[in-house]
Amino acid sequence: MKVILVYDINEKRVAKVLKICRKYLHWVQNSVFEGEISEAKLVKLKMELKKIINENEDSVIIYTFRSAWYTNRETMGVKKGGEELII
Amino acid sequence: MKKSIYIFSDGEIKRKDNTLYFETEDGRKYIPVENTQEILIFGEVTINKRLLEFLTESEIIMHFFNYYGYYVGSFYPREHLNSGYMILKQAEHYLDHKKRIILATKFVSGAIENIKRVLIYYANRGKPLNETVDRINSIARSIEDCESTEELMAVEGNIRDEYYQAFDIILDSEHFVFETRTKRPPKNRLNALISFANSLVYTTCLSEIYHTHLDPRIGYLHTTNFRRFTLNLDVAEIFKPIIADRVIFNLVNKGIIKSQHFEKKLDGIVLNDKGKQLLIQQMDERLRSTIQHKRLGRHVSYRQLIRLELYKIQKHLMEEEEYKPFQTGW
Repeated sequence: MKVILVYDINEKRVAKVLKICRKYLHWVQNSVFEGEISEAKLVKLKMELKKIINENEDSVIIYTFRSAWYTNRETMGVKKGGEELII
Repeated sequence: MKKSIYIFSDGEIKRKDNTLYFETEDGRKYIPVENTQEILIFGEVTINKRLLEFLTESEIIMHFFNYYGYYVGSFYPREHLNSGYMILKQAEHYLDHKKRIILATKFVSGAIENIKRVLIYYANRGKPLNETVDRINSIARSIEDCESTEELMAVEGNIRDEYYQAFDIILDSEHFVFETRTKRPPKNRLNALISFANSLVYTTCLSEIYHTHLDPRIGYLHTTNFRRFTLNLDVAEIFKPIIADRVIFNLVNKGIIKSQHFEKKLDGIVLNDKGKQLLIQQMDERLRSTIQHKRLGRHVSYRQLIRLELYKIQKHLMEEEEYKPFQTGW
């Protein structure tokens, strides 16, 4: 499953959320992650995030795609992060 | 699906914030640990014990390759699936000559069957390969009479000779001619490709074995000795034709890999970094591509097929169901 995750978190907690996301997904640019992930791992990720965020102040949006076939990805300007498997 | 990570750059890989962190002179990158299956290292990479502990905890196997792309070894984390029962069964099938021959024969016949499928696939696309298939069939008849693994290996060797000769017909490229099989070092480009692709199949099989109860040190066709893993070599025999060789044919026939991706070294010819990366990319795609599995009735990737093959071997060792090597359907 393809996932895009974006967040807007209060400064107090943003570093914690960043660290959790790094464990599961590839960092793309500030507050944006993407990657291929299993359903079980996504549940795990959501549970970890739930523990940290303050539901009155923070917001996390997760887009999931069953396949990446019909999507197109275009980058303009600087490429900051990515999903390369060959480093 | 967990991903494999291939590292070509020089740098340091370490544990940071409970995930993997790779730092080079011109950049840094976090690797999502929860989504990593294995790490293959080709570059000059510094590691520390903390990282190895973390890899063990996360059950990630790390393979190392030297400057020329030769496999040098793996960090095989402590067995997380431990089974004394399975080791005893494996040893039993190794020590009992009759039982060992049965398994060894299956690996060879599985390999031959898939070799034939590859040849027939190209014969159907207009390559004159029917004679080769006939010759292989006539040699293959003798495998049932083999009484030792050495004889089996010899028959397999003869068949591989015939098979490799057919590479020139399939490829039909002046830059990639087969001549004879040469290893350590490979003497021409095609041999370099074959060697590198095969070593990738071996490590993939090893990674999959890690996730089963089997012990990779006890193989059946390849004699278990004091130095290395052998079960992965046995299993790889079945998959080499349909994974490694098909990838090579694609790379050459589609003109993706060219003569500038090779260099002279060690009195032979090896792939350069760009060449290795091209092959790895295709191989990774191949392992992730899926086919319809007849018995399971669902789509299964080639990597999962290897795992299923290992489960079948486990069943055979436990004498629950006789092992039947995988045969490709296309």
